[in-house]
Amino acid sequence: MRIRLVRFRVASAVILTFSLAAFAQAGQQQTAAKTPAAPAPKRDLSGVWQYQGAGGAESFAAEKDIPPMTPWAKAKFDEEIPGYGSRARAGGNDPILQCDPIGFPRVMFMPTPIEFVNAPGRVLQFFEREHEWRPIWTDGRSLPTDVDPAWYGHAIGHWEGDYTLVVESSGFNDKSWLSPAGYPHTEDMRITERYQRVDHDTILYTLTVIDPKAYTKPIEGRHVTLKLRPHEEIEELPCVWSEENAFTKRIREPAAAKTTK
Amino acid sequence: MDLKKLVASFVLIASLLIFSGPMLAHHGNVAYDEIHPITIAGTVTEVVWANPHVQIFLDVKDDKGKIVSWGIESQSPGILHRNGWNKSSIKQGDQITITLAPSKNGAPVGFSGGNTGKVVFTDGRVLRMNER
Repeated sequence: MRIRLVRFRVASAVILTFSLAAFAQAGQQQTAAKTPAAPAPKRDLSGVWQYQGAGGAESFAAEKDIPPMTPWAKAKFDEEIPGYGSRARAGGNDPILQCDPIGFPRVMFMPTPIEFVNAPGRVLQFFEREHEWRPIWTDGRSLPTDVDPAWYGHAIGHWEGDYTLVVESSGFNDKSWLSPAGYPHTEDMRITERYQRVDHDTILYTLTVIDPKAYTKPIEGRHVTLKLRPHEEIEELPCVWSEENAFTKRIREPAAAKTTK
Repeated sequence: MDLKKLVASFVLIASLLIFSGPMLAHHGNVAYDEIHPITIAGTVTEVVWANPHVQIFLDVKDDKGKIVSWGIESQSPGILHRNGWNKSSIKQGDQITITLAPSKNGAPVGFSGGNTGKVVFTDGRVLRMNER
């Protein structure tokens, strides 16, 4: 009986010790995991956000996920000389090397922040990369049908529920590349994006590019997250042609030249 | 296979996956060998604090004592600010070591950025270039 009692006490002490340790650890984890975040504001994406990705050739979509191109698009693609991706080589003709606007959707997939600002009847997106901006009209208007094609197109948005902004855009010129890998598009390109704010600090971002004169099927862009950066401010970093050119001469061209090894 | 070996194998595989991620996923510029970064030491000759990439030019002595001039691109000024740099963080004359992805063609150029890039000063100070 006595031995059983001793064993019982020892067992209880062990169980109690482990329970306390587990409880303390859980408490610490809860504290370390931050106090519960503020709820996401409704119909409001304002703030500075950072795309969680690496940029580069496959930032918008992996090469394997690009649908077959039309003959026009294939011919144009074959002429391009990108600096990224499997077809990269020296002497590139990427439009951004001469500080042409990056265009959309390429500008979304950069390792630099984007600020969303609410204004009457629109949401403005400011991109630190190249100091670009883009308005998304939320005043109920339709997409314009007779406009001059633009580098960033024309965008309208509406809310689905209180946390998802759906954006449709068209009216693009055909001068930009979809990604650093050199994918072309036509002036008939249309893009649908969804900005789904899943919590205070996170947007799930998806987009679809529809351009039947260039791609035989819609292109599904990568599903990425944008994270809120409440203490960041966007810097003034325009593309400066003289600086871009100097960088090309001093770094890009030596790096891309035929092997000296 | 006994349980210990199974667990050990799992831990090994998981570790490999975790630690290979940042190196493989970065940048995508095929000019640089991001799988095999190198660290070189030298004297800074020039820093260009500009878009699209801040550039650090460095005189490095090769193993024969000859000076080789390296040109290394890093991140944009905005990204470096967010990593605690300013345009005076590295100055002409500084002795530094820098970890970079060298160009595949053997030219003395490279990219130092993302999770693997870093600059270390002789007093031990470290500058990083994380993108996010």
